[in-house]
Amino acid sequence: MSVASYTDGHLSVWRGRDVLSFIDGLSTNLVVDLVEGQCKHTTFTTSTAKVIDRVMLFHMGAFVACVSHGPHWDALLTHVTPRILGQDVSIMDATTSNDFYVGFNHQNKYNVNYSSKDGITIGSSIDGYEMIVASKGTPIEVDSNWADFDEWRIIHCVPWPGQEITSKHHALASGLSQDVHPAKGCYIGQEVLTRMISRGKQGRKLVSLSNDQAKPSEVTTKGSTHSLSIVRM
Amino acid sequence: MDCGTCETAGPIQVMQPEVIDVALTISDKAQTMLADAFGDDRSMALLVGVLSGGCSGYMYDLQIVEDTDQSCQEIVINGFRVLVPNASSHLLDGIEIDYVDRLMGGGFKINNPNAESSCGCGESFA
Repeated sequence: MSVASYTDGHLSVWRGRDVLSFIDGLSTNLVVDLVEGQCKHTTFTTSTAKVIDRVMLFHMGAFVACVSHGPHWDALLTHVTPRILGQDVSIMDATTSNDFYVGFNHQNKYNVNYSSKDGITIGSSIDGYEMIVASKGTPIEVDSNWADFDEWRIIHCVPWPGQEITSKHHALASGLSQDVHPAKGCYIGQEVLTRMISRGKQGRKLVSLSNDQAKPSEVTTKGSTHSLSIVRM
Repeated sequence: MDCGTCETAGPIQVMQPEVIDVALTISDKAQTMLADAFGDDRSMALLVGVLSGGCSGYMYDLQIVEDTDQSCQEIVINGFRVLVPNASSHLLDGIEIDYVDRLMGGGFKINNPNAESSCGCGESFA
């Protein structure tokens, strides 16, 4: 497995008996059934289904750890905190106590159960990479860089926050259809996404194209030979 | 990541919305239905709350309760006790509790002047 440092990683700790139902009501994936030892992606969207951020949730027993994208954190917090109202939900920022890495280039078999040992927690993404969160100071061997991870993402058509996952696009155009649960209850943006899916019209989609085929205005991540682009369908 | 490192994290300051003295009304039809539901027992109350979620971001939460552990305002209208949680008072000031009598989508309905939009089923608003 290749490991690259994810310097924009962010970790928040969500506590309270209403945490899972709270997140479930505000994001695209079914997470209310998450149990201790499991992790799962979900995506927070606006009422027009535009992405606020994609997160990976780890059920740690006493709390839920939420790995998100640092530059998106303020927008996510602004979105969720007014909606806590009287619910038992508290959020803490634990970013500075941890370092973040991604593992890729290996035979990843998606597993909803994460591993946690010696301060290192590894969650398997449904997209084929691994999210690694290590307590500050825990030695991790980094043998790759972000450009290598981008090349891997381009080959496997994997979206990333700040590149494909931005507020410019809705969840389906960003390549996050695997995060959109088909049968959960209502959440913000659900009407728009459900209509797109049922009508088979989502406007744009994420594709991997060779650099000579990709339109510069649609490129979201440029690699050495291929690029990720969000193109009109 | 482990529990030890997370324990050191400080809480994020959440802006608490201002608590507003809620004024609300109950339509004649809704009062008739409440009278049917409560009978002569006026010790029960209608709790009108708001939860996060739904297509538009907030969902109404109507419950018939005797009491609640939430910090609430109690409003009495024609003998009917209505409880409104202080945490969501800013979203519920000026509402009318109505009752819509139809086979599909019928039931208690909230007409909310604070709502910029609401979803088709009427349970969610923004």
